[in-house]
Amino acid sequence: MTSTLEERERRFALLLFLPALIALVVTTTAPLVYLAWTSAMRIDLSMPWLSGFAGLDNYAHMGADPRFWHSLWLTLIYTASTVVLQVVLGLALALLVLRIPRGQAAMRIAAILPIVLAPVVVGLFWRTLVLSPDVGLVDVVTRALGLGSHNWLGDPQLALISVIAIHTWQWTPFAFLVILASLSALPPDVFEAARVDRANAWQRFRHITLPLIRPAVVIVVIMRTMIALSAFAAIFAATGGGPGTSTEILNLYAYRTSFSELNLGYGAALAMVLLAITLVVSFVMFRVRRAR
Amino acid sequence: MGSGAPTFECSAGCVVMTANRVRTLALIVVAGALLAVWAFPVLWALLTSFKTERDVLAYPPSLIFEPTLSNYRDVLFGSASILPNLVSSTIVAGASTLLTLLFAVPAAYALARLALPGKRASGFYVLATQMLPPVGLIIPYYLVLQKIGALDTYAGLVVIYLTFSLPFAIWLMVSYFEDVPREMEEAALLDRAGRWRALWFVILPQVRGGIAVTTIFVFLNAWNEFLFAVVLGGNRVRPVTVAMFNFISVEQTLWAKLAAGAMLAMAPVILLGLIAQRHIVKGLTVGAVKGGGRT
Repeated sequence: MTSTLEERERRFALLLFLPALIALVVTTTAPLVYLAWTSAMRIDLSMPWLSGFAGLDNYAHMGADPRFWHSLWLTLIYTASTVVLQVVLGLALALLVLRIPRGQAAMRIAAILPIVLAPVVVGLFWRTLVLSPDVGLVDVVTRALGLGSHNWLGDPQLALISVIAIHTWQWTPFAFLVILASLSALPPDVFEAARVDRANAWQRFRHITLPLIRPAVVIVVIMRTMIALSAFAAIFAATGGGPGTSTEILNLYAYRTSFSELNLGYGAALAMVLLAITLVVSFVMFRVRRAR
Repeated sequence: MGSGAPTFECSAGCVVMTANRVRTLALIVVAGALLAVWAFPVLWALLTSFKTERDVLAYPPSLIFEPTLSNYRDVLFGSASILPNLVSSTIVAGASTLLTLLFAVPAAYALARLALPGKRASGFYVLATQMLPPVGLIIPYYLVLQKIGALDTYAGLVVIYLTFSLPFAIWLMVSYFEDVPREMEEAALLDRAGRWRALWFVILPQVRGGIAVTTIFVFLNAWNEFLFAVVLGGNRVRPVTVAMFNFISVEQTLWAKLAAGAMLAMAPVILLGLIAQRHIVKGLTVGAVKGGGRT
C-alpha cells in the first residue's frame, strides 16, 4: 500500500496530537459531562439515604435561594471592580515608568514578585501580616495617621473591599507588565509628529497612545476577567467567604456548599451556573475583540 | 499623564531644564512608592520570619530586633515540620510538569507546523479548556477519585493537574514552534531523515529555550495550586500550599512560623520567576494572543 506524502503527514500529525487530545478530553470534557449529570442529582453526604435523581430540582431551588443571588451579585462586583482597577492602575503605572530614565528593570522585577506567589499564600500574608487588627501593616499605618484601628477582614463591608484590594495588589503587575511591553514597542516618531502638531498630553494619549496599545489592553481585560471569574484561593485564605457570606462569590458558595455542607448535588448546579457565565463572557469578549 | 516618550517642553528658552529634572525626580519617587507597595508585604514577611513570636506582636512594630533562626529550625525540623510538604509539592509539581511536556510538545508541533486534520477546531478546543474555572471541575474529580479510591494519591493529583497545565503548555509551545524557520525542517526531510528523526534532531534543538520556559511556568503553576490539592489531597499528599494553614488556627496564629514557612514555600517560585523574568509577559498572555488572533 502506497500513501501520498500528504497522507503520511496527516497521519504523523494525528499521532502526535491524539495523546494530548485524549488527555484533555479525559481531564476536562468528561468531568464536565459528569458535573452536568451530578447537578441533576441529589447527593447530600450528610444525608446519604436521600440521594437520588432530582431532575431540575437543584436549579429550581436556586431561584428562591437569596444566598445564590447574593453570591452572583458579589461575583459581578468583584470581577468588575478588580478588572477595572487593574487596568487603570496598570496603565497609569506603565505610562509613568516609561518616563523614568532609570530603574525600569527594578520595577519589572518588583512586579514579578506578586505574580509568582501562590494566591493562597498571598491571602494568608494579607490576612495576618497586612490586615490583621493592631499588628497588621495597614492597621499600623491607619493608626499612625489617626484613622484608627479597623477589623479589615471582620467587618462585612470592609472585608469585601479588602479581598478586592488583595486581588488588585497581586494582579495589577500583570496589566502593568503587558501594557509596558506594548508601550515600549511603539515607535517614538509617532509622538514626535503629534508634538509638532501641538497636541497636548491628554490628546496625545487619547488619540495616539491608546489606539496603538488597545490590543494589549483588550488582552489584559479578557484574561483578567477570566481569572477573576475563577478566583478562589486568595479569598479562601483571607476570609473563607466570610464574615457570614459577605465575601462569598459564586466560586466560594459552590465550594462551601459542596465541601463544607456536603451538598454535592446543589454545589454541582452552582458550578454549572459558574461555567455558563464563564462561557458566555468569554464568547462575548472574543466576539467583541474579533469585530475590531 | 502624557504619552510614553520622554518630554522636553522647551517653550521659553529651555529654562525649564531644572523643572524637568524635578519632575523626573518626582516620577521616580512615585514609581518607587508603588514598587514598595508590591515588594513590601514580601519583605515584611521576610523580616517577620526572623523575629520571635513576641517581637512580632510589638507595637509600634520593631525594625530593630534580635534576629533568630529558630522559626526556620522549627518549620523545617520541629514537630510541625513542613519538610514532608515541600517534598510532596516537589513530587506533584515535578511529575505533573514532566507528564504535561510529554503530551504538550508533540501536540504543539502538530498544531503549529503539520497538516493536522481539524486544526482550527483542535486549537479552539485547547483554548476553550484553558478557560474552565477549577471550581467547576473539582466536584466531578472528587466523586470520581473517591469511587476509584484515588483520593490522597500522587497519581490522582498529577493527572488532574493536566487540566490547567496542558492547554497552557500546548499554546506556549506552539508559539515557539512557529518561530522555527521552515527551511530547516524541509532540508531535514529532503535528506530522507524521516519525520521522527527530523523532529528529534532538527526541530527540538531549535525550541530548547521554549521548552525550558514552558517547564518553568508549568512547574510554577503546579507548585502554587491550592484548590485541587486541598480537596483531593489528604494526609499523605499534602502540598505546601495546603500545609500553610497549619500555622493558623482559631485559637492562635503563629505569625513568625507562618512567615518562615511561606518564605521556604515561595523561595523556589520566586527564583524561577526571576530566572524567567524576560519571558513572563509571553507566558502570561499566550492563550489570548494566539486564540483571539487566528480562530
